Amino acid sequence: MRRRSSLPVTFLVPTLAILLVLSMVPTLYAIVIALQNRELSAPGYSWVWFSNFADLFTDRRFLNAVWVSVKWEIVTVIATMVVAVGLGVLMFEVASPRLRNFYCLLFIIPVLLPRVSAAFVWKFAYHPLYGIATYPYRLITGGLIFDPLSKPGTALFAVASVDVWQWGLFFAVIVLKLLETLPPQPIEAARLDQAKRWQIHAYVTLPMLKAPLISLMFVKMIESLRSFDLIYVMTRGGPGVATETLDMYAFSQGFIESGKVSYASAMAVLMMIATVITFTMLWKRVQA
Amino acid sequence: MSAIVCSHVDKAYGATTVIRDLNLAIEEHEFVVFLGPSGCGKSTLLRMLAGLENISGGEVSIGGKVVNDLEPGDRGIAMVFQNYALYPHMTIFDNIAFGLKRQKVPAAEIRKRVEAVSRTLGLERYLGRKPTELSGGQQQRVAIARAMIKTPKVFLFDEPLSNLDAKLRNHMRVEIARLHQSLKTTTVYVTHDQLEAMTLADRIVLLKDGVIEQIGSPAEIYRRPGNQFVAGFIGTPNMNFIEATVARNGDGWTLTGAGTVLSLQGGDFHLRHGDRVVLGIRPPDLKTAQAGSANLLQGTADLIEFHGNDALVTFGSGGKEISALVPARECPELRAPVRYSFEEDCIHLFDGETGKSLRRQ
Repeated sequence: MRRRSSLPVTFLVPTLAILLVLSMVPTLYAIVIALQNRELSAPGYSWVWFSNFADLFTDRRFLNAVWVSVKWEIVTVIATMVVAVGLGVLMFEVASPRLRNFYCLLFIIPVLLPRVSAAFVWKFAYHPLYGIATYPYRLITGGLIFDPLSKPGTALFAVASVDVWQWGLFFAVIVLKLLETLPPQPIEAARLDQAKRWQIHAYVTLPMLKAPLISLMFVKMIESLRSFDLIYVMTRGGPGVATETLDMYAFSQGFIESGKVSYASAMAVLMMIATVITFTMLWKRVQA
Repeated sequence: MSAIVCSHVDKAYGATTVIRDLNLAIEEHEFVVFLGPSGCGKSTLLRMLAGLENISGGEVSIGGKVVNDLEPGDRGIAMVFQNYALYPHMTIFDNIAFGLKRQKVPAAEIRKRVEAVSRTLGLERYLGRKPTELSGGQQQRVAIARAMIKTPKVFLFDEPLSNLDAKLRNHMRVEIARLHQSLKTTTVYVTHDQLEAMTLADRIVLLKDGVIEQIGSPAEIYRRPGNQFVAGFIGTPNMNFIEATVARNGDGWTLTGAGTVLSLQGGDFHLRHGDRVVLGIRPPDLKTAQAGSANLLQGTADLIEFHGNDALVTFGSGGKEISALVPARECPELRAPVRYSFEEDCIHLFDGETGKSLRRQ
């Protein structure tokens, strides 16, 4: 009995201890800093407790960053899922098995690209004068300039399109593979029940894949929180603050503009709390 | 008018031909069973009727209309699958109602019809449940309800009872028979189980390697098998086959084989002196020999299987294993000498080369 109960402990304790140190120490340190008034420009500090948090809620740039983050999250997650399901179903319906394999290979390539590289590729593609993505506009309008990355109304969507290009296509491959794992009989039964092609997917296959699709959505939601590198390369939060998400704003407050690391930490802590609460609630709702 | 007509139907996957020049007419209200060993093409043929498989050649018509290029939903058929194929995320009610909803039947009428169908099949209590909360038999009943509610011209059953345990299978078989009696819908039923075929069918279509071996009523197929394959496939325990040589003997004939000489009148068969034939006798047709019986098969009982009322005695005769199904009280001891005889009108003779029945029509 003793040996049986000690074995899991032997394996689990060191790993958990390392994990705990790696994850908890920075987190706790961030919380501690958030309660102080440290700045990179001066060595001294004092405890200010919650005044950083109070300041945040009157900071209009912070509130803008919250709104941009929420917009970013919604746009990228929904667009990724729509592209993934749409393309996945399309491949399932029209492509032959051999062609499917080819498309799968093709669609996985973008996500294999490092984010920074993808960001640079598309930054050039969106270049108003030389970019391939803006070329059709120049062609149609006879040389008018269209610069999606420098217009407040389009910048966020232009950056989001790169995210969707990477993840939507990759998820389309996963959706296709999920569809291929489904038993064929319910689909055949639906055909006998006079369901049209789109109805078969809307009422039979996609509901059957509800659980994995929700898991995919969660993965994308978490992934979308890490948009920093993409936005940093493509717009640096600009034009103005049009694409300044919370992590961008925290970074610029902490290290670029003013070196207010305590203020930035307060943002990070708030973000963490908000994320934990939101995801817990969503997870609970999905489980129910 | 025939409900279903297949004329010169072929099915090939690439270079492999699964069904070859198949011709079949199924009458209205008829219960036809496709029977055959695994891989004989029976399920493929059914799926071609359903429209789930393309037809490589020939023509299929249902209710007088050629359906080769019609979608499954437009053929006026309903199908029950071996593994039920229910929609796992929908309630039983929604499963049954799905087809009607697609046809845009008003909700009130859907409710009425679902209730009527579920009453017939005893499913009222389960309408709110999900398929996984039901037993196999109940799930299959839901699948039948889903097929019934569309009031199709033709029911197609693809081995519907194969996933059920023996007891439930008997029960559902009776239910399907009753259902057909009351609905009188033309039914095509695929199975590899000859008991199901014998009990349910008006006519059996016996298939092998994509070719029809024989079509006939269960009694016809059992009593007058058209060839050695049919004779061996139908009937449990299996028919005994004894290779023999025919010789003319006065008015009658003698058959020499399996270490014994049998004499026949032979009037029912096409026989020629010197032919090699296969003699077929069903185990129940072998009776314990009385003193003075002709046509004896004898040997030492080397295996005895007790069946309850009967016992299957297997003995060797001239190097050939022969089985006899005898009443349990006549069952011999193991390794005891046994002697069995048969009446001439019970036997079957097949051509030694082609396997075709030699019986005169």
